[in-house]
Amino acid sequence: MIKLHPSYAQLERYVEGSCNAGEGLIVSAHLDMCLQCRSKVTEMENSLADKMLANQVPLDPAYAEMCRKIVELPAEIGGTPALHQTLELDGRQFTLPRALRRYASQINGWSHMVGKLWQARVDLGIDGRADFIYMEKGGSVPEHTHRGSELTLVLDGEFSDGLRDYDTGDFILCDGRHTHMPHTDADEGCLVFSIVDQPLHFTSGLARLLNPFSHLFFK
Amino acid sequence: MLVGIQLEDRQTRTSVPFEVVEEMAGYLQAVALRRCQRSFSKLFSHFAPRLRSYALKQMGNEAQAMELVQETLANVWQKAHLFDVDKGTPSTWIFTIARNIRFDMLRKQRNRKEDICSEDLWPVLCEQTASPGEISLDHQMTLQQVGVLFESLPEKQRLVIEAIYIEGKSQQEVADDLEIPLGTVKSRTRLALQRLKEMLDQDD
Repeated sequence: MIKLHPSYAQLERYVEGSCNAGEGLIVSAHLDMCLQCRSKVTEMENSLADKMLANQVPLDPAYAEMCRKIVELPAEIGGTPALHQTLELDGRQFTLPRALRRYASQINGWSHMVGKLWQARVDLGIDGRADFIYMEKGGSVPEHTHRGSELTLVLDGEFSDGLRDYDTGDFILCDGRHTHMPHTDADEGCLVFSIVDQPLHFTSGLARLLNPFSHLFFK
Repeated sequence: MLVGIQLEDRQTRTSVPFEVVEEMAGYLQAVALRRCQRSFSKLFSHFAPRLRSYALKQMGNEAQAMELVQETLANVWQKAHLFDVDKGTPSTWIFTIARNIRFDMLRKQRNRKEDICSEDLWPVLCEQTASPGEISLDHQMTLQQVGVLFESLPEKQRLVIEAIYIEGKSQQEVADDLEIPLGTVKSRTRLALQRLKEMLDQDD
């Protein structure tokens, strides 16, 4: 069951279109999975539309010309085609939320990291980086905190991080206040999508040695 | 031309009256089914002054505001068939189109190589999304064609088809509503479908 959702402020930015592209994408993917947030967003869109389209500015003659030109355009039947892209790893097929499907075809393969961890970077052209991350059963990410913020959406399976448990569809925001060590004991492992705007900062053990170089992993 | 009257409304409760919603939804449908220019000009006079107000606030200059209004209403004209009355009101649909176009315009302006576009974030003009019954492109076209041909059916047949396929009534319910025998409903349905099929075949 989904327990963690985007904040009201995040949904509001999304509905207004004032969010940055990375945040918008991951909120959108969460909405594909979460009926509850979707109906909240529908409601917010309705009232925002009423509010934003309540006032009028009278038209000047150029607009009559605009109207004439528009009706000369042909109908565009079909709209944006829906994609059916899945993500494959290690012989397993993952169905992705609609918002992420287009990006699954753009990843350049998976790289194996430490600790039963697989990572596939997605080039969104945004500040920061976005990855699909897959943890095999018993896999873990070394304990770390964040210099910036990290948004994570659980796409399939579940994991824990020493602070709490996360399930498919959960929307997780981590920043400098959180130090955690994600790991999973689920048999089917766990696939997440994550966007970070700054390199991770490792906090314990040998992994601390990574810190001076974490920008290398990051870039 | 008299278009747009400044509203006195100061951000109190701004819910759009039900009749206006219905009226606008009707125009959208007429555009979708019959490319009705008169209906579009009704939509235009209602929404363009509102979109202009939104666009001026968002974009800050006249030229870009105009581009935003034009792009939005061109989408309304060209893609009216994607409006789904069950999913929301015309003004929400049109607002979300404008919001998306604004997002893409600002993105281009910053000249960034961000690969994310508004349709990924907000699938407003996407073919019916995520829902189980995803409609293929071919099917969409057929629906579109049927919509146009539908208008040319004899009225008696059209009423029956409308009740069954659009309002979702059973043949028995239609018979009761129209006070005609069930057999008549069945034969009208069959004749109408046959006729539609013939017309579609001719179209190809």
